[in-house]
Amino acid sequence: MRPPPLVPSALRIFDLSLGEMLWSRRSVFLGVLLGGPVVMALGLRTIWTLYPNSIQVNGAVVAGTTIFGGMIWALFINIIVPLLGVFYGTSLIADEVDDKTITYLFTRPIPRRAVLFGKYLAYLACTILLVLPSVMLVFFLVVPIGSSSIAEGFPSLLTDFAMLALGLAAYGAVFALVGTRLKRPLIAGLVYAFGWEPAVMLFPGYLKRLTVSYYLQALVRHEMPQDSGASLLFQVLREVPSVSTSLIGLTVIILGALWLAGLAVERREYVLDQ
Amino acid sequence: MSRDAGPEAPPVSNIIAADHLSKWYGQVIGLNDVSVGVPAGITGLLGPNGAGKSTFMKLVTGQLKPSKGGIQVLGEPIWNNPALYFRIGFCPEQDAFYERMTGMEWVTALIRLNGLDEAEARAKATKAIEAVELTDAANKKIGAYSKGMRQRIKMAQAIAHDPELLILDEPLAGMDPIARRKTIRLIKEWARAGRSVLVSSHILHEIESMTANILLINQGRILAEGNVHQIRDLIDEHPHTVYIKADLTRALAREFLAQDDVLSLKFEEGAVVVQTGRPDAFYARLTDMAASGEHGMIHEVTSPDDNLQAVFKYLVKS
Repeated sequence: MRPPPLVPSALRIFDLSLGEMLWSRRSVFLGVLLGGPVVMALGLRTIWTLYPNSIQVNGAVVAGTTIFGGMIWALFINIIVPLLGVFYGTSLIADEVDDKTITYLFTRPIPRRAVLFGKYLAYLACTILLVLPSVMLVFFLVVPIGSSSIAEGFPSLLTDFAMLALGLAAYGAVFALVGTRLKRPLIAGLVYAFGWEPAVMLFPGYLKRLTVSYYLQALVRHEMPQDSGASLLFQVLREVPSVSTSLIGLTVIILGALWLAGLAVERREYVLDQ
Repeated sequence: MSRDAGPEAPPVSNIIAADHLSKWYGQVIGLNDVSVGVPAGITGLLGPNGAGKSTFMKLVTGQLKPSKGGIQVLGEPIWNNPALYFRIGFCPEQDAFYERMTGMEWVTALIRLNGLDEAEARAKATKAIEAVELTDAANKKIGAYSKGMRQRIKMAQAIAHDPELLILDEPLAGMDPIARRKTIRLIKEWARAGRSVLVSSHILHEIESMTANILLINQGRILAEGNVHQIRDLIDEHPHTVYIKADLTRALAREFLAQDDVLSLKFEEGAVVVQTGRPDAFYARLTDMAASGEHGMIHEVTSPDDNLQAVFKYLVKS
């Protein structure tokens, strides 16, 4: 008898894992964290309602779409998406090993890779479900500030969703690989996301092409305020690839990382503590 | 009874065949050059904790890769051979579950991994849950199950797809006497239907109630294989310790003290620990007492492996 093919097996693992992942303590904690940008947006909206035209940069009222773009870049792309990737990605298999439930999955007629891929799909669905309401609320609270209208900003919201989903997919794949290869994946993941990537992005050269954020930044469509010293410096150092290069780069990262992670799961022995 | 099977490869008719099988974890040897054949029917794997039982079970179920030698299950190598799990059911030792799921959801979800659709999987799960007599609790969350119920739901997921070979790692651990008796009956019925079972335990009495065919394992080696009755006399020379968690420990103790096979008795928190010279008689009486309900609820019966360790020491010396 042949084992069920990879994709149907992965989809069954997805079914099994999604509910567990959504109602985990990790999701509750990160759900609360995702309330941060909403609280910030609520604060900005309150200030704007109480003191109209008070949100200004260099004497000019800042449009709501610009604030929204800034929040997407600074909070979601730079902090929240890598953080979700690190916390979930590194634990895709590790959680099952720690809970000693991996045995039930590895003694079923499915390829071991399917366990990783199914759980990766569950991670994507779970994180998108966590990020989506937060981004929506921020959008509806912030965009009406200044002269922007919701209808005007809506296409950009859809683009931002797609970009965030791609970011979650890329970071998730990279950290899934880290989780299957390293002994302390969480620490390594945090160092990579919040040490290595930001540091490398500041310097010219090819090294930044080994980061997810290099490809992700090209997909940010928002215009950033450029009058501050920091933003000018950023513009000088910023080397932005084309959208097609970014999409290809991210696809290669996702597929490559998942393939290597799948290989590691196939070959590795998981010894559970008695 | 024969000592270690020796260098010759086991015959093909064996459901499990280990050939110079070794497994080590870094510097620690888990299993050392084991060549053994497990025939069809029920076979008990008996050994104290740390003897290599778990390593052997993990190798048999393909969770670990042999460091040296090979192992074949149902005529095929098991490592990285997922198709073989259509024919194998495994009930692991660890008390691990997706606690938020109900018993029915859990068994159904695992059976679906065998390629069944939702309706088929649910039908098989229902049948398996019925077989382990958990139908009333099927829709309760596993987190709310007692130890015995958790053992039985693990058993349900192992038998649900009707495998040819059932591998059970300490399946009776923590069960109350009635659940024990029912589980033993289920295992025996399973084998009577022409299927095979490999069951591990550190309690000879448990194994003996299921089969006469045993593998004795100690310090990573198969010490002996064959008929259980030949080591019966040895074990009878050593007092057997039983830990009983119950509501009315004092009433139970009074009843035990009236029996001449009870050698000593002590109380622990919510439990009574008994040493008996005749485990057979003791367990039979305990099951009757649990069934009568006259001595309150008996929640859990376990046995430390001190007495078995003593038998192994004796065997190693002889």
